[in-house]
Amino acid sequence: MSTAPAIPVRRIPALSGKRPPVSVILTTIILGTALAWSLAPDLFSSYSGTVGLPGNQLKSPSALHWLGTDELGRDLLARIIHGARYSLSGAFVAVAVGLIAGSAIGLVAGAAGGRTDTWLMRLVDVLLSVPTLLLSLAIIMILGFGHVQAALAVGVTAIASFARLMRSEVLTLWRTDYVEAAFGSGATFLKVLVRHVLPNALTSVLALAALQFGAAILQISTLGFLGYGAPPPTPEWGLLIAEGRNYMMIAWWLTLFPGLAVILVVMAANHLGHTLERRKA
Amino acid sequence: MTSQDTVFTKNFAAAGLAVLLATTIAGSAIATETPKVGGTLTYLEQQPHTVLYPPAGGFYPNGGILNQITDKLTYQNPETLAIEPWIAESWEINADHTQFTFKIRPGVTFSDGTPLDAAAVAANFDAFGKGKGERKFPVSEVVNNYERSEVIDPLTVRFHFKKPSAGFLQGTSVIGSGLVSLSTLNRNFDELGDATLVIGSGPFVATKQVTGKELTLKARTDYNWAPKLLAHQGRPYLDEIRYVIVPEDGVRIGALLSGQADFVRQIQAYDEPQVTARGYQIYAPSTRGINNSVVFRPDNALVADKAVRQALLHATDTQEIVKTLFSDSYPVAKSIIASTALGFKDISAKLTHDPKKAAELLDQAGWKLDADGLRRKDGKLLELTAYESPPQPQNKATLQLISQQWGKVGVKFNVLAGDAGSRVQDSLDPQKTPVAPAMVGRADPDVIKSQYHYANRNVLLQTGGVSTKVESFRDETLNGLLEGIAAEVDPAKRLKLVEEVQNYVIDQAYAIPIFEEPQAFGGAPYLKGIRFEAVGRPSFYSAWLDR
Amino acid sequence: MHAQLVSRIGQSILVLWAAFTLSFVLLQALPGDAVLIRFLGGDLGLSPEQIAELRVLYGADAPIWEQYIVSLSGFLTGNFGYSVISGTPVATEILTNLPPTLWLAGLSLAAAALLAITIALTANLTGFAPLKAALENLPSLMISVPVFWLGIVMIQMFSFQLGWVSVINPGPWEQLALPVIAIAVPIAAPLAQILLRNIEAVSRQPFVQVARAKGAAPAHVLVRHILGNALLPSLTIAGLLFGELIAGAVITETVFGLNGIGRLAERSVRFQDTAVLQAIVVISAFAFLLINLAVDLLYPLVDPRLRRDDVKGATA
Repeated sequence: MSTAPAIPVRRIPALSGKRPPVSVILTTIILGTALAWSLAPDLFSSYSGTVGLPGNQLKSPSALHWLGTDELGRDLLARIIHGARYSLSGAFVAVAVGLIAGSAIGLVAGAAGGRTDTWLMRLVDVLLSVPTLLLSLAIIMILGFGHVQAALAVGVTAIASFARLMRSEVLTLWRTDYVEAAFGSGATFLKVLVRHVLPNALTSVLALAALQFGAAILQISTLGFLGYGAPPPTPEWGLLIAEGRNYMMIAWWLTLFPGLAVILVVMAANHLGHTLERRKA
Repeated sequence: MTSQDTVFTKNFAAAGLAVLLATTIAGSAIATETPKVGGTLTYLEQQPHTVLYPPAGGFYPNGGILNQITDKLTYQNPETLAIEPWIAESWEINADHTQFTFKIRPGVTFSDGTPLDAAAVAANFDAFGKGKGERKFPVSEVVNNYERSEVIDPLTVRFHFKKPSAGFLQGTSVIGSGLVSLSTLNRNFDELGDATLVIGSGPFVATKQVTGKELTLKARTDYNWAPKLLAHQGRPYLDEIRYVIVPEDGVRIGALLSGQADFVRQIQAYDEPQVTARGYQIYAPSTRGINNSVVFRPDNALVADKAVRQALLHATDTQEIVKTLFSDSYPVAKSIIASTALGFKDISAKLTHDPKKAAELLDQAGWKLDADGLRRKDGKLLELTAYESPPQPQNKATLQLISQQWGKVGVKFNVLAGDAGSRVQDSLDPQKTPVAPAMVGRADPDVIKSQYHYANRNVLLQTGGVSTKVESFRDETLNGLLEGIAAEVDPAKRLKLVEEVQNYVIDQAYAIPIFEEPQAFGGAPYLKGIRFEAVGRPSFYSAWLDR
Repeated sequence: MHAQLVSRIGQSILVLWAAFTLSFVLLQALPGDAVLIRFLGGDLGLSPEQIAELRVLYGADAPIWEQYIVSLSGFLTGNFGYSVISGTPVATEILTNLPPTLWLAGLSLAAAALLAITIALTANLTGFAPLKAALENLPSLMISVPVFWLGIVMIQMFSFQLGWVSVINPGPWEQLALPVIAIAVPIAAPLAQILLRNIEAVSRQPFVQVARAKGAAPAHVLVRHILGNALLPSLTIAGLLFGELIAGAVITETVFGLNGIGRLAERSVRFQDTAVLQAIVVISAFAFLLINLAVDLLYPLVDPRLRRDDVKGATA
C-alpha cells in the first residue's frame, strides 16, 4: 500500500516558546476535567448517575438540575459526569488493543521483511477491507453486548492503522546509520529493537494513539447509538444521546449536552495528537 | 364465545358482553360529514414488514399491511367482539365443533381477477392449518387440530377437525387468516416479503415496494364486499396509501407534527401531550390480550419458590410505572388479561404494592438482607436477569424502573439489551433469564393458552416446549386449565375456566401484570374515519382526508 | 510493471476471498441464526416440531463446512440466495439499495472536498489572523462531531422547526441535503488538514517562489500552482475515507430513514441475515481494494515530486 510522501513541516513556534497557547491550556483543562470526572465522579455531583427520582422526570435545565433531568428523573449532569468513566476507559481499552496488537504486527512485518511482511500486511488489508463499523458490529455480536466488548471491538478495528504506522517507522529506522552501527557493534536484534527503534517510533505512535483515542470515543458512542454498546442504565455518553434522541421534541437537553461533552473531549484528544505529530516533524 | 352459534346472530347475549359493549375505541368517530373521496395518506411505520404470509400477520408491521390488502372469512366487530359475516355469508358448526361449513359470498375477486370461491378458501386453510413444507409455510397459530377441507359446491366449503376446536370461528376473523389467491399460495415463503406478490381481495392493492423503506398501496375501485354490517360500502375513500418506514421515534413524531405525515404508529406516552396540545389525535385501541407483564421461569432455582415470586409481585409498584412512564392510554393492569378481553376478571386486590409484605415474604423464604443492602441465602445472591423486549413500548425504561423498585427490597435485577440472536437463545434458558417481559394481543380466550401453554409460546418455560434448556418445571394444573379453554365448547364454562386461570396464575405469582397495552397511533386533525380491528391494527378502508 | 500488476490483482483476489471467509466465520460464531430469530423471535407462535421442520428446510443445521461450500459456490456463480428476514432475493436487495448509497456517498465526498478546499484556501488567502487561526482549528472541531448527533440536531432544526426540508416526502435532492452535510462535515476534516499542511509545504518549493518572483497574484499562485500539488497526497487516505463513508451511510440512513446499503447492513447484522451481509462485505471489500489498487497504480504517475522536477527543469 502507499504511504504519503514525507513533507517537512516547520516547527510550531508556540511549542518552543515560553507561554503555552490558549488551545493547549484548553486541551489540558478539558482532558483533565474528564479524567477527574471518571476517577471520582461523586466529588462533582451529589446526584446518582443511575437512580432517578420519580415525579421529577424530563425537567428542563434549572438551578437545581443544571442540565435538566431525563425520563426517569435522573440528573443529566450527574449522568454525564458518571459516564465519563465509561467513555474514557472504553476508548483507553480500544487504543490499548489497537496499539499493542497493531504495533506487534507492524514491528514483526517491518523487521522481518520478505514473505512474512507480505503476508502480515495482506492480513492487515483484510482487516481494512471490511468497513470498520461492520467489523466492530460483527465482533460485538460475538462477544456480547457490553461496555468492555464494545471497546474491544473498536480496538480490533484500530489494529490496522497502528500496524501500518509501526511498519513504516521500522522500515525508515532500519536503514539509518546508527541502527546499522548498533548491529555492527554486535547488538542483538531484540536489543536494537528496544534500544533504538522503539524509542524513535514512540512519538509517532503516541500521536496516533491520541488521535485514535478521540476516534474511539466517537466509535463507541456510535455503537451505543445503534444499540450495540453498554446496557442501560450505564450513563455512557453515546447511550445518553441514543436514549435522549427519542425525547428530542420535548427535551432537547438530553441530546444536546451529551453531544457537546463528546465533541469537547474528542476535540481535545485530537488536538493533543496533532500537537505530538507536529513536534515529531 | 360465539363459536357455538350456528348463525352469528342467534344466542349472542352471553355473560361479560355488557362490559365489552361499554368499551368503545378512541377515535372511531362516526362519520356525520360526507366523506371526501381521493387523496394519498402518508403512514409512518416503525419497522419494515417481513414475510407477508398471512399467519405471520401477528407482527404489527405485517398486520398493518395485510389488514388493507386481504379480507377475512368473518369479521369480528371491534366494539362487541361478535363474529359477523364478511366473505362468508353464513356458517354452520356441528355440535362437537369438529366441522365448520361456510357459505361464500358470490362475486368476490382477488386483485389479479381470479375468483375468491370455495376452492380458494379451502386452499388457504389447508396451507394455514397444515403448513406447506415444500413452500416453507409454517402452520397458523390460530388454526388448531385441522384435518382437511371439503369443497361442497363452488360457494360452500367445509373444514374438518381432528378434535373440537372452539376457537376456530374467531380464528377465521383475524389478520392471520387473511385470504390470498392461489398464485400467492404457490409462491415460496421467502418470496412473500415482496408485498406486490401478495394478492388478496382487500380494498387496497400493493403496487410498489422499496424494500425496507416504502410501500405504496392503491385503492381497488371495484371493491364491493366490505363486511355487510358496516355503514361504508363500495370503494375505499382514499386513492392511495404510502407506508414509509421511519425507525426513529423522534423523526416520526416530528414529521407528524410538522405536517409531513398524516398517521403514525408507535407514539410514545411522553409525546402524547404535545400531540393533543396541537389538535392532533391520539388513537390508543386496546390489544385485548395478555397485559404487558413480566413473567417468571420457575425452572430457575432463584424463582422456584412461590414466596419469592409473590414478594417480587408485591415489590412492584405498577401505579408508579404507569404514572412515571405512561399515560391514560395505558390503564394499570387489573389481571393478567386486559379489561377489554373476553372473560376478564378484576383481581387487582391480589396485585397490591406492599414492600413491607414483600420484605417479610423474602425473610421467611430465607433470603436475608446483607450489609450491602442485597439479599442472600447460603451465600447466594438474589440476582435476576431479563432482556428488554424492543417492540414493547418503553420496555427498557419499564424494566429499569422495576429494577429500582426491586432494589428497594434488596433484590438485584439486571436488564440486558442483547442482539437478536442472544436474546432469542437466552430467553429460552431459564438459568440465564429467570424473568422475561411478555405480551400478546388476540381477542379470544385462546390467547391465554397461546401464551402460557408449553406447546405454544410457553412464556413460563415448562418442559416439553420449544426450549431444550428446561430441566423439570411443569405445572399440570395450569396446562389442564389451558387445554380446557381451547377445547371447551360451552361459552359459559369456557369463561369460567378463563377466570380460574387468571386467579391461578396470580396465586402462583407466575406473572406480574403491569399495564393494558394499547397500540398508540397519532393522526392529523383532518384525518377521519380510521378504524381498528379487534386487536388494534388500523383499517384504512373508511379513512378519508378532510382537506 | 505488468508482473507487478498481475501480482497485485492476485493478492487482491486473495484478500477478497479472505474477507468473505472472515465474515462467514464471524457470522457462524454468533449465537443463534436468522432462522431461529425469524421463527422463534417472531410472532408466529410455532411449536417445537414446526421449528425443527423449518430448520431442516433452510439447511440451518447442516455442517458448517457444507454451508460454507454452498455459500461460496453460490457467490461464484452469482447466486446470492434469499434474505431470510425480508423474504426477497439478496440480488434484488443489493440492486435496490446500492444506487441510493452510491449517490449519498458520492455527493458527500464531493461536498467534503469542496468544504475542505474552501477552508484551506480561505485560511491561506485571508490577511485577518484570527480568521486564519479559527479556520485552521475548524477541522479539529469538525472531526469531533458525532455524525448521528449532527443528523438528529439538523433534522430537528431544519425539518421540524424551520420546515426547510421534508424528510418524509422529499424530492430526490432534498432528501440528500441533510445526510450529505452530516457525512461531509467529519470527512472534510482530514482532507482540510492535509491541504492546510501541504499548501504550506508546497509554498516553499522553488517553483512556487519562481512564480511569485515573476509577480503572479497570491490567489493565482495558490490556485494555479499550489492547490493541485497539495491535493494529491489526499489520495493516499482514499481507503480511509471509504470506510468513513460506509460508516456515515449506516448512520445517516438510519437517522434519516433512507434506504441504502448502510441500513441494509445494519439490519443484516442485527438479525444475522447471513446471505445479505456476506454480499455486502464482498462488495465493499471489492470497492475498497479497487480504490487502493487504483491509487497505488496512479500515484507514481501523478506524483507531485516528479512534476515538480519538470517545473524546476523548465524554469531553471
